[in-house]
Amino acid sequence: MTITDDPILRRRFGRFGGGSGTGASTSVNYALVGLLVLVTLLAVFARVLSPDDPIQPIGDLNAPPGSPDHLLGTDAIGRDLLSRTLWGIQTSWFAALAVVASGLFIGGLIGVVAGVSGGLIDSLLMRFTDLFLALPGTLVAIAIAASLGANLTNTLIGISVVWWPYYARIVRGEVRSLAARPHVEAAKLAGVGWFRLVFRHILPGVVPTAIVAASLDIGNVVLLLAGLSFIGLGQAEPAPELGADTARALDQLLAQWWVPVVPGIAVLLLSLIANLGGDAIRTLLAGRR
Amino acid sequence: MTRFLLRRLGAAIVLLLLLTLIIFVLQTISPGDPVRAYLGVNASPADIAAKRHELGLDASLPVRYLKFLLNLLHGDLGISFRTHRPVTTDLSDFLPATAELVAVAFLIAVVLAVLFALSGALRWRLTGVLRGLLLLAATAPPFLLALGGIVLFYAQLGWLPASGQGADTTSPTGILLLDSLLHGDLVQFGAAAQHLVLPAVVLAIAPAVAIGRVLRSSLDTTLTADHIRTARAKGLPELAVLRKHVARNAVGPGLSMGGLQLGFMFAGTVVVEQVFSWPGIGNYLAASIPVADFPAIAAVTLVLGAFYIGVNAVVDVLQALADPRLNA
Repeated sequence: MTITDDPILRRRFGRFGGGSGTGASTSVNYALVGLLVLVTLLAVFARVLSPDDPIQPIGDLNAPPGSPDHLLGTDAIGRDLLSRTLWGIQTSWFAALAVVASGLFIGGLIGVVAGVSGGLIDSLLMRFTDLFLALPGTLVAIAIAASLGANLTNTLIGISVVWWPYYARIVRGEVRSLAARPHVEAAKLAGVGWFRLVFRHILPGVVPTAIVAASLDIGNVVLLLAGLSFIGLGQAEPAPELGADTARALDQLLAQWWVPVVPGIAVLLLSLIANLGGDAIRTLLAGRR
Repeated sequence: MTRFLLRRLGAAIVLLLLLTLIIFVLQTISPGDPVRAYLGVNASPADIAAKRHELGLDASLPVRYLKFLLNLLHGDLGISFRTHRPVTTDLSDFLPATAELVAVAFLIAVVLAVLFALSGALRWRLTGVLRGLLLLAATAPPFLLALGGIVLFYAQLGWLPASGQGADTTSPTGILLLDSLLHGDLVQFGAAAQHLVLPAVVLAIAPAVAIGRVLRSSLDTTLTADHIRTARAKGLPELAVLRKHVARNAVGPGLSMGGLQLGFMFAGTVVVEQVFSWPGIGNYLAASIPVADFPAIAAVTLVLGAFYIGVNAVVDVLQALADPRLNA
């Protein structure tokens, strides 16, 4: 089973992925994966790369982009926008990776247990998963984050609580189809213990599908996090954060457009690269099989 | 069909109960203390104990959950910490504007989705450009699209207003388009429609692409099916092929995606309303978050969540009507 065969899963992984692929050549796909690596490096070294302190006012107020000292300009109290954006990219990117990782871990655990056990445990776990899948995820995440107190950690907890069911379904489906393969039957007949059976003979086959699902999902999480940060469920002022920085500077749009727009464009680029890169990974892995 | 309906209704009720349970648990573990919020920090311990008893906060958890459900059934969602009014009153003020925005946005999304799907499946030339633009726009955060729309259509071209609903009078239903039309007030209707365009289009883009992609792939599958080739081979005009043999077969997946996306719009509207100062429930939610107004947040989640669950249940029934094979 691939992700796109399942009508419920297609709902999530259907922005760039899910169709017949971009039809791009292998070298273009490697370049797109390279972009993913580049963004991750940018996020890792954001603090080294940013020219100024993102929190201290250091320049003229509202300097436009292209100013000699401030490539992307400054905000209303003279903070360097390039530095704030770089720090914001770091927060957004790692937060998105953390959410996807938590989804993979929780969902993967439930999916493997359900898929390997079968029978009553399988149907109970999948009923539970489907129940969560049918809840309005974003709204529940907002409610969780807002009731625990508005900050980034609680937002990540809120999203993680609603994010795993997709992965549980993907992993469970893959485990079930692998368990029916001859090599697993052979291993069972040879008297291999369940631990070795799961970790040697089933899990390695699940990994490629899980990686594709996760990489196609990063763009979704980047957008969701930016939206939640925009409505106040992110880090508090003065910490730099992409969605919140736009929301705080909304009233400057018609006078100094760059102050709210620059962080928004950073979100667009992150989401675009994540989607194209995820699709490239899918195409490359599909070609290898 | 009756069995299918009953089963779907049962599932929706279970989901609603789960949603209320989640909200109830959040309310109990939420650090904000409702008693302090009512009485202020200087209240005496005796007053606090009395208020706790009055609010039923000293009862056991299952009892409190049942009471919470009973209140809910009576339309009692508590008092907002911020506005000091019953949350239900607040909601009835803000819900109509959101309903109007989401309904119009959904219509736009469906039209764009059909264009998107047809441009891919039938390979029309001009719509290819539209498809590329829509794909790019669906990758952008909605608030960036909103800002771009304001700069272009309000500041540069001066074609469209950038904030509010366009009403200077109070409207009986809160849905300006409907009110002005019923009164025959075309000026007001035009103003209301103008104010709706930007927020509705911004809200519609991501769902349009999601629905369009699903429609497109189901169109692709249907158009290459054997019975379509037969219909064409026997000389049926293309339009008749589309209408009689393609439409009903291809609409199912689009329908289910449409329902899901309508649900997502109830969450997406929070961001869009904030940018456009739209006087709806999303703006109300965004104002409640910084002051930790939990009754308001819980109520908005419950109401929008109930819509989401209801819409998805209706869509499942519609799908079973369009394709009786699902009705098993």
